Amino acid sequence: MVFTSQIFLFYFLPLVLGIYYALPKSSEWRNFFLLGASYIFYGWWNPWFVLLMLFATAVNYTGGWMISRAPHGSARRKWALAGSVAVSLGTLGFFKYFMFFESNLNTVLSWVDGPTLAVLQVTLPVGISFYIFQSMTYAIDIYRGDAPPARSFADFACFVSLFPQLVAGPIVRYNTIAAQLVQRDHTLERFSSGSALFILGCAKKILLANVVGGIADSAFESEAPGVIDAWFGVAAYAFQIYFDFSAYSDMAIGLGRMLGFEFLRNFDSPYRSASITEFWRRWHISLSTFLRDYLYIPLGGNRRGERRTYINLAIVMLLGGLWHGANWTFVAWGGYHGALLAFERWRGKRGIVNFLPRPAQIASTFVLILFSWVLFRSPGLVDAGRYFGAMFGLNGGGAIAPLLAAELYSPGHLVLMGLCAALAFQPVQAYDLANEVTWPKTVALASLFAATVAAMFTQSFNPFLYFQF
Amino acid sequence: MTRTRLPQLGLVLVLLLAICAVGLIQVVAETTGAATPQLLDLFRRTPTAAGLRAYETDLEQNSWCGNRIRVATQLAAFVTFRDLGAKALIGRDGWLFYRPGLEYVLEPCDGLAEAAAAIVAFRDALAERGIKLLVVPAPEKPSIYPERLGLFAQGLKKPMATHTTRLIETLRNNGVECTDLFSTFAGASGKPLYLVQDTHWAPGGMRLAAETVARRLAELGWVSPGQAVYDLKPVNLLRQGDIVEMVQNPAIAERFEPEPIVCEQVIDAEQTPYKDAAESPVLVLGDSFLRIYERDEPGAAGFVAHLARELRMPLASIINDGGGSTLVRQELYRKPELLKGKRVVVWEFAERDIRFGVEGWQRVPLPE
Repeated sequence: MVFTSQIFLFYFLPLVLGIYYALPKSSEWRNFFLLGASYIFYGWWNPWFVLLMLFATAVNYTGGWMISRAPHGSARRKWALAGSVAVSLGTLGFFKYFMFFESNLNTVLSWVDGPTLAVLQVTLPVGISFYIFQSMTYAIDIYRGDAPPARSFADFACFVSLFPQLVAGPIVRYNTIAAQLVQRDHTLERFSSGSALFILGCAKKILLANVVGGIADSAFESEAPGVIDAWFGVAAYAFQIYFDFSAYSDMAIGLGRMLGFEFLRNFDSPYRSASITEFWRRWHISLSTFLRDYLYIPLGGNRRGERRTYINLAIVMLLGGLWHGANWTFVAWGGYHGALLAFERWRGKRGIVNFLPRPAQIASTFVLILFSWVLFRSPGLVDAGRYFGAMFGLNGGGAIAPLLAAELYSPGHLVLMGLCAALAFQPVQAYDLANEVTWPKTVALASLFAATVAAMFTQSFNPFLYFQF
Repeated sequence: MTRTRLPQLGLVLVLLLAICAVGLIQVVAETTGAATPQLLDLFRRTPTAAGLRAYETDLEQNSWCGNRIRVATQLAAFVTFRDLGAKALIGRDGWLFYRPGLEYVLEPCDGLAEAAAAIVAFRDALAERGIKLLVVPAPEKPSIYPERLGLFAQGLKKPMATHTTRLIETLRNNGVECTDLFSTFAGASGKPLYLVQDTHWAPGGMRLAAETVARRLAELGWVSPGQAVYDLKPVNLLRQGDIVEMVQNPAIAERFEPEPIVCEQVIDAEQTPYKDAAESPVLVLGDSFLRIYERDEPGAAGFVAHLARELRMPLASIINDGGGSTLVRQELYRKPELLKGKRVVVWEFAERDIRFGVEGWQRVPLPE
């Protein structure tokens, strides 16, 4: 189910909230109900996918159980951890990367005139990258002593499948939510703050992301965009991915609050960053901290000398890129960010143009990020190269460019791009706005929700960008 | 209740009211109309991915609130931003454009080779029976009138070099005879060749296309002029453009005055409107570009009738809306009698169908 769909908003959500609050206040009852609701939510795409999630849940729960039973430092404990991590990553690897591996192997075989293999068509279950990572944190956190084992299988399954953040994050680590699974507060303040965040997220997705997404699609799908069109298009994509993904996080955190949970913030005005290092402290925070704590630090972090630090950064970002999808464009995207991070670390974590005033640093960082979004948005490296060419006027501009311009620069598009820029570069984001609910905010949010729902009725199916990851 | 809790409660109530109201209104509207609530359909369908998608789509399409609010929201977007939604685009001076037609011009087209292969195969199959083929891709509005899209498109060289230009070149290299309406239309002066609010050509454009095709058939020596004598009878009509209809919003449609059109109906010596003749040596295949004025109002005033008048003989025709690429040939396969005694097939299709044609470009055998 998609949060911004009629089935979720007008049927699933009221039913879930109604039943949830009608149940006895015991967290066991409510967790069990949330588990069932989350399986329905997830199974809505394809009921068979629920079985895969159940499998990943069972593997990591068993791993955690074995770890908690084994003495500290024992080989059994290590094997239990290794087993659950290996099975989790193996599952993710098969569903997400097997086809990619096979098609690349075929390419290599074709270079040496070898026989090619029939590529097995594997359907990618929605949100698998998120819930596999989340369920892995359980076994790892117990191994490290960062969290106690779950009270029951139902509690753990509820954590893995919790519908507010199941499909596109934020990535919730077990140790940040373990206590809330046992005891959480349901207050009017929390519910209203969650409602505010949910409404703001809905508005960002429907009123901003979906519309600027159309601009980005037109530019990226055009055969030969002009120079300005190409920059306009990638800026539109930058706004689309930010307002789409952060909207999902806002709605997830908002829904979590309505159900008594508190998830960590996932975005903090990322386009106001003055360096790439700062950008990664503000963008998809749950992924960057996950990679830091579960990959970068175990690799040695910055404790093994300068050269090793750069290598670790590169490994983390390449794998982070690959986590987004089985495509060389994501590897290139990760590599690009890894190289920039390594460069900035070499300069003492300073931005490339740190001698300029902060607004200029922010602008130059944004331009660097735009280049990365070209890699992220393009279906292949050749397409990305063609788009870079268009940005620098290297593809001849194209005779059709004026026709594309006529489509791109409509009054509505120009107003909306201006609005997106103003909202993305100002410091107060939805997360901050939702902290305190006042009368003026209530009136504004009610009007915004009415406009959002009205616009939603005019839009066709438009899932969140991060569903594909 | 403290002063800080009141606005919090207000917001929660607003949200809960809004999300509960749509479903409740739907159930009330359905039960008062003596229908079973659609919500219950969920328990009648097999819970497969496809079944759940279909259920969700039905729920959205039949939403009582959704359908009413959508009309008002689209109107607001149109009034504020001149936005006509996903299918249509407003250009200058009230000219409307069909978005897929523009996308065809702007975006890469993967289907060229497939289209060329299907056309060459069709030509070869006809040739085996001694039938000649003339291919007539009909230009889209953006190819001929790009400057009507907006200020940015002023001064563009016409016709636009689209994928169709490349297809025509490929077909000619393969010995397939093609009529290039693009150059003909680009060189024409006078009244617009296309309707302002419609995807199709105006009577003038249609007639120019018929004359061009007839001239080409004569140059090739494929058809000898017949003996029939046809005359023209002017008919005035008002037409609501198909692009306006595609917006599916009566409130917006009301803001577009129907376009006045002067057609020329083809009539015979007895003043009877033109009629096809299945036994004609010429068969015309095509899509809605042939349907307009011919089978729509006023009738017998479209491409087929005017081509018949130019050739001085009645023609046979198969017209399939939106099916210029494959469906029209499948229909021919089901009507073997229409191929009897044919010497020439004229095949028209809208150029956007090279990429977006319904059922793609399948190879369809000729009827036995």
